[in-house]
Amino acid sequence: MPAFHQIGHDSKNLLFDEGLNRFGGAILSPLNYTPDDVADQLTRLRERENFVTLFDPHLYRPQSERMCLPSWDYYPRDVETADFTPNWWAGIVDKLAETALKLGPTAVASPAIVPKTFPDEFYLELVQNGNQLESVLRGTPVKPTQTIVASLVDLTAPQRAMSIASIMSKSRIEECLLVLIGNTDPRRELADPEELKGAMKLIAALESGGQRVTFASCSSEMILWKAAGATNCATGKFFNLRRFTISRFEEPDSSGGGQLGYWFEEALLGFLRQSDLLRVNAQKLLSDASAGNPFSQQILENIPAQKAWVALGWRHFMYWFADAEFRLSGGSVSAEDLVTAADATWAAVENSKPKIFMEERQNNGDWVRQWRRALEEFPYFE
Amino acid sequence: MSAYVLESVAKAICDSVGYDFGCGIGQGAFKETFSATQADGVPVAVKVLKPGCSAERSDREVEAMKRCAHPNVAALIELSAIDVDGVQYPFIIEAFMSGGTLEDRLGAGLISRSELLKIGDALIGAVDHIAAQELVHRDFKPANIMFADARGEAVIGDFGIVRDLRKDSLTQTYLSSGPGTPFFAAPEQLTNDKALIDWRTDQFALAVTLVIAHFGFHPYQRDGENDSQAISRVASRSGPSPTFVQMATQIELPALIKMLAPWPVERFRTPPMLLNAWRAQRGGD
Repeated sequence: MPAFHQIGHDSKNLLFDEGLNRFGGAILSPLNYTPDDVADQLTRLRERENFVTLFDPHLYRPQSERMCLPSWDYYPRDVETADFTPNWWAGIVDKLAETALKLGPTAVASPAIVPKTFPDEFYLELVQNGNQLESVLRGTPVKPTQTIVASLVDLTAPQRAMSIASIMSKSRIEECLLVLIGNTDPRRELADPEELKGAMKLIAALESGGQRVTFASCSSEMILWKAAGATNCATGKFFNLRRFTISRFEEPDSSGGGQLGYWFEEALLGFLRQSDLLRVNAQKLLSDASAGNPFSQQILENIPAQKAWVALGWRHFMYWFADAEFRLSGGSVSAEDLVTAADATWAAVENSKPKIFMEERQNNGDWVRQWRRALEEFPYFE
Repeated sequence: MSAYVLESVAKAICDSVGYDFGCGIGQGAFKETFSATQADGVPVAVKVLKPGCSAERSDREVEAMKRCAHPNVAALIELSAIDVDGVQYPFIIEAFMSGGTLEDRLGAGLISRSELLKIGDALIGAVDHIAAQELVHRDFKPANIMFADARGEAVIGDFGIVRDLRKDSLTQTYLSSGPGTPFFAAPEQLTNDKALIDWRTDQFALAVTLVIAHFGFHPYQRDGENDSQAISRVASRSGPSPTFVQMATQIELPALIKMLAPWPVERFRTPPMLLNAWRAQRGGD
């Protein structure tokens, strides 16, 4: 039920930020941290009552995306020459289980790659890896989690979501980690209603079949996944940790430049740059959720003082995420409420005097209409 | 039913093992079945495989039966082969079910709700056991459900098209439909969605069998539709008919409805879940 913190690059400090204590779990990242780092994180996190720690082995692209992975025992040394056969995976699962038992997270996700295509055989292989992990960990304190990697484009095909859910429900594991791969421009809102409906259908099918879904790397579209019934949703400081994307919220590189601060505004279900924020605020269009966000005031104080607020922006979004997840899970607000209100606010932005032009041309709220459509149509989506 | 072409072979088998030959009791695509009696008076069924039928299929049938040991799964007594006129005929000897088949019983009328629950209970046990061996029977139907005697429990037999999930499928992926009896088959079987085949495929076919046995019509069949239209509806995953759902709801059989969901993910995920839900229906009896 609680939101999960998807730990990414240089974000472990946020894990222990007092203002973000509503997160009920964390997805640990061996991609960004060494075994010693993760062990340290786990030691501190164990002090929190009922806090769930999920170790994701991050073998999604083991040949090209390594970072800290080679420091882990389960990372395959023959990754460049391996054929990824069932026996090869079996060896990895065994080593991964050993690693997990040594570290002691609450749960460990089964290994998975991001394939070139997503045929049924790929999903059968995911089930096989999951079931083997379940066998190895049976009777131990570490719980297995079934990883599901799916393509948003693939999910637009009729009946594909039900077919994938039918295969994945062969797994003996009841907890799932869902990782979606898409072609949406880096860190833009997902806005293809067919993709959204397919993903929602997949979540709903898995959940109604008795498998609890933790949705990895979410952004603001989390509200749709909650509407579809996702048990947990995870996010990180870069607002949308959709994997393998870069740009809009990228870390500054060594060649200079820097990040911009972004404010997530529930009233628009969108991200605002500083000047956008000031103009929207002047029109009194900010939401109650923003008024109650403890990082809002700090940001609004930093702006006239010309202080950078990038890091506060991360916290502002993450606070919203955990808070909204809590309200959606508890039923005090619904996804329909949020998108309907956002649609109305975007109309108000459009009709404001003087008219508000967002700094980014694409930041126009178009996705909100698509989200409304997805919410309306997904129960009928085949 | 056409003449038994393998009767002389069955008689030769009985002579070789000291059984009294009875008569022909069943025919299938791959084999013919005959009744016989052991020297100690115990009745048996002698199944003679047709020459030229897939050796891999018959091997899998035998391997599957060897792997199973459950009171509601037909027991294998002997497996061998006989040479008749220079032709090798593999044969299987199983316990004979003197209570006949469910198909025979249905000739005398539909079964009651309490019989439905009892037969379902026994066969869910069989499905559970078969699934635990990583097998999918793929041919649950009244003709393959037998009774040891008039009051005996139901037993599933005929593993002729069993799917062994530990081995590669024998069915070509390019085929538009997989092996099975279409009238009782699950959508994934009819459409040859091989990756979707598992114990839930048997769950669906068992449910169709039970619906036929109690209600007398196919659960996907709409009023006025024929058998092939019902099969088309299953293949297109249109879901059970409103008439069936209403009738099953009225007599408190929710588990039966769920077993018939078009997608495996919508059916019971594990045999214990199915058994619990099935037994919870007893209250309506």
